[in-house]
Amino acid sequence: MTEFALDRLVPAHVRAFEAYVPSPPDDVLCRRFGVPHLHRLNNNENPIGPPEAARAMMAAWKPEQAALYPQGDGWHLRRALGRRFDIDPEQVILGNGANEVIAFVIKAFCEPGDNIVTADRTFAVYEWLASFSGVEPRLVPLRDYAFDAEAMLDAIDDRTRVLFVCNPNNPTGTWWRHDELDRFMEAVDGRAIVVADEAYAEFAEDPAFPDSFALMQRHPNLIVFRTFSKMWGLAGLRIGWMAASPDVAATVKKTSISYSVNILAMEAARATVWDEAHVQATRAHMRGSRAAVAALAQKLGLTMIGDVGNFVMLKLPMSDTVAHRRLMGRGVMARAMTSFRYPGWLRVSLGPADAMAAFAGALEEVLAEG
Amino acid sequence: MSLDPRAQLPAGPRHAGIGAGFIRDCALAGGAEERLANRLALIAEEVLGAAPANAGLVGLTLSDRRHAMRLSVDFTAADLDLAGLDQSRRGDAEDAEEIGLYLAARLADRLTTEPLDRGGLRLGFDVGRAYPPQAAATAPEALGPISGAAVDPDDATLALLVQWAEAAELGGPAFRLAPRVLDQRAQGDLFARVALDARKRPVGGLFWQPFGRRLMELSGPALLLPDGADRAAVAEALLEAALAGLVRKKIQGLVVLEPSPDMPRQGFETVGQLPAADGTTWPVLFRALEEDPGGISWVPPVLADWVTAATRRLALGRDIEEPARPKRATGAAMAAETDRARGRVTLRSLIAAGDAAAVAAGNVALFRDQGFSEIRAILDLGKPDQAAFAEGLVKAGLSPAALIPDAAGDLLLLAAAE
Repeated sequence: MTEFALDRLVPAHVRAFEAYVPSPPDDVLCRRFGVPHLHRLNNNENPIGPPEAARAMMAAWKPEQAALYPQGDGWHLRRALGRRFDIDPEQVILGNGANEVIAFVIKAFCEPGDNIVTADRTFAVYEWLASFSGVEPRLVPLRDYAFDAEAMLDAIDDRTRVLFVCNPNNPTGTWWRHDELDRFMEAVDGRAIVVADEAYAEFAEDPAFPDSFALMQRHPNLIVFRTFSKMWGLAGLRIGWMAASPDVAATVKKTSISYSVNILAMEAARATVWDEAHVQATRAHMRGSRAAVAALAQKLGLTMIGDVGNFVMLKLPMSDTVAHRRLMGRGVMARAMTSFRYPGWLRVSLGPADAMAAFAGALEEVLAEG
Repeated sequence: MSLDPRAQLPAGPRHAGIGAGFIRDCALAGGAEERLANRLALIAEEVLGAAPANAGLVGLTLSDRRHAMRLSVDFTAADLDLAGLDQSRRGDAEDAEEIGLYLAARLADRLTTEPLDRGGLRLGFDVGRAYPPQAAATAPEALGPISGAAVDPDDATLALLVQWAEAAELGGPAFRLAPRVLDQRAQGDLFARVALDARKRPVGGLFWQPFGRRLMELSGPALLLPDGADRAAVAEALLEAALAGLVRKKIQGLVVLEPSPDMPRQGFETVGQLPAADGTTWPVLFRALEEDPGGISWVPPVLADWVTAATRRLALGRDIEEPARPKRATGAAMAAETDRARGRVTLRSLIAAGDAAAVAAGNVALFRDQGFSEIRAILDLGKPDQAAFAEGLVKAGLSPAALIPDAAGDLLLLAAAE
């Protein structure tokens, strides 16, 4: 073979991007940090797990089915979601986790040289996907921990294709009310696609939280993201979805990947729609757990933020990355927030009671070490 | 595709002059001054002339890095004997085969190495441009206070900051010679944030430069405001802006080898102490930008106690393993970066082999004999081969001074001050 010049074949925006490296599996982490068990409070999972109907479906699932391809676009699940939210099933597109849906949208609307607009301190995947697609991520600073509508509007230019609003925002838990999102859509005035990423929407109990599916009727440039990873306890199966007005959905469908969602994920998700008792039980857990962390924060003199979602953030009097390591050494895995542009903050998922107790004890020890 | 001039020539003295002429002509055509072009040509001549016969075709590429010109020499053969590059192997005889590479290494201001595909090696010889002295420019007295967030400055603002910092002897060596700093930044070898007052004049700056592949070294801050509470606010604003510009990229952490008294300490951890020639020590600071998921540390027995203790103190999750000896029996070599003005030399692994300990000890002895007062070595504990140098370094009087965390390979900094 003549010389293989790999760089010649790789676009500059891919060369410049550093691959994301997930953390190793728990057994490796436990060995490296010298702990027998690791409480995972870093990924905002649901400690209650999936609803009963989904559990029953998975328990009854026959392994022989793994030999068969899934139905290609979630026929039944899309109809179940359509009925639940009063939209046409053709407006619903599934993905292998909401991350894949983000990719569908960027691929559908952006080409190299275009830009997306989002916040600087929010879910990282919008920024990453744009960057390695040759699309400029325009990052607007949060204002008072929340998306700044006015500054986002100012950031729009004629190459802006998509605005991503994480609502509620991960990691701050702030959110726009229905009227705020409506006003924002009015101001965008069809100049770009607006994505309301509602991964944590089911945790919002305030009736002022947007009914984005209703807003979609008036604003055809609005796309709504949802996931089965958070409220529905199916993070390990990787399934998310989006809904959009018919023409927008038809466009995104062109760049979506059929058959990317596995059969088990689709059937388990379908079984969850829409278990209101599970929602209420999860919300009750979050209320209790949030109150307990608030009490801990008060005792330790720490600022806590985050009213919605299954997580909170704590401001530490020390490096968050050092605290992360020291917590790992005590068997607790929280999220260091420097990489979210919140240096000195720790995000902790509101997990099972034993994990939260372990976190409280470990955090006290870590802070005492200074 | 790069438009840098390049050539491929057979190794050996017959083509050395051709390579030297090519590099000299290209350097001059690219705007290099005569002195610089001649040094690059001499390096090319020495490298080609001393390259082992089995090296085959040797690639020469000349790149203009603004503040320096770089001659890259590519060896595509997998099993090279480049021991001649090692400064400790100069031998007594001037006609020794490896003397050419030794001279080449000495002619460069900086020698870097990187592996090529399929076992080859690229040597990068950087020769710095000369900059004329700058007229002193003192900062006005009525600066400040800070107004708004620290910014990625335009050239004029950055130049003004450097001129004012130099006049006040602030910030350390990184804050010297505005034209060089501008060239370094344009080349991507230096990054800056500058705090401004309401009249958009610089009141402080913070720089960072690559330190290995995944870390950055912070320099400064240089604060131009008089003593008072606002200085701390400027330093905090600079650091905050730097962090915002660095996260979510490939950089894993920030290291501060020479902390300024004005560097905000909160958020940094002390990962070791460096000795000074006067017997004092100063802390090495580190700030991780990403979570550390743990990794493997290849640690030789001679360093095991120290590294294990440091790993525990820093709460790093590491599998500490003892490496096997290098497969190659002989031909170990180290690269050296020298800073003669400060009497400092930093040794790094170039090629590991069974004779690495002796080579390491030889390098330390060589630079000690030459009067260097601060001798350092950096070992990448993520690379098992590098451990082979440890025993020689320790026997020659270097001690472990700092463990700079990186899950892909902690950097062990060894040091001796005479």
